[in-house]
Amino acid sequence: MTTLAPTGFVALSGALLGIGIFGILTRRNFVLLLIAIEIATNAAILNFVYFAAFAPSAPLGISGQSIAVVLVGFAATEVAVGLAIVLALHRAKGTINVAEVTELRS
Amino acid sequence: MSLPEVAFAILAAVAVVTAIAALLVRELVHTILWIAIFFVDLAAIYFLLEAPFLGVLQLGVYAGAVTILLLFGVMVTRKRIFSRDAATGIGPVPALLAVLTVVFVATAFGEFPAGAVSIRAYDPTALSVNLFGPNAPWLLLLGLIMLTGVSGAIYLVREGRE
Repeated sequence: MTTLAPTGFVALSGALLGIGIFGILTRRNFVLLLIAIEIATNAAILNFVYFAAFAPSAPLGISGQSIAVVLVGFAATEVAVGLAIVLALHRAKGTINVAEVTELRS
Repeated sequence: MSLPEVAFAILAAVAVVTAIAALLVRELVHTILWIAIFFVDLAAIYFLLEAPFLGVLQLGVYAGAVTILLLFGVMVTRKRIFSRDAATGIGPVPALLAVLTVVFVATAFGEFPAGAVSIRAYDPTALSVNLFGPNAPWLLLLGLIMLTGVSGAIYLVREGRE
């Protein structure tokens, strides 16, 4: 049976969330922004998977894995919609730099 | 250190390095190559955690579909695929926020057992029974959101829309 320390996984998902937040705050290219959001989402999904693996009871753990499966689907939908926005933005403005799209600013 | 611990240390290091590289390289195509390695690496971590169903799902959905979608997004929005972006600065405030996030998570370390804990493995059959049983509302919600997302995406990119 495999044994591992939970703290390593907490550190990994914390680091990935930090990298994702950093990317969301600094990148101006829409595709890079989507990738940063994906990194942060993957940190959350990793949380569900390892807490399921270290869960004290089997029903609790298996529910965690089920929610992780659903979250993967949500994240994939989000990328599809995000890329549709990229295409619409490129068609309308000729750029995918989010700093140049300021029509909704008052 | 046992073999799984060594494997996890290597996989975690690769995950962090590829995530940082994906956000810092200047060519978008290289970014997508790095993020593909990141997704495959996370799938390997899921296999290490004895969650093979999620590992395969990660490989299929992320390393397969999402990577190709992102590559497609880059292909259709640039004149030259390997063109470079202007270098974006790191910026002290976002970097500080990222470090603060890690520190905040690190404060939770005391709540977890310090030593190694044995990993609970689940049968994929039991997972699917749970997924379509007690967690069926979430799956239904996912279906509805995917349907809405696809309709929205088609509306956004359809021909003749200004």
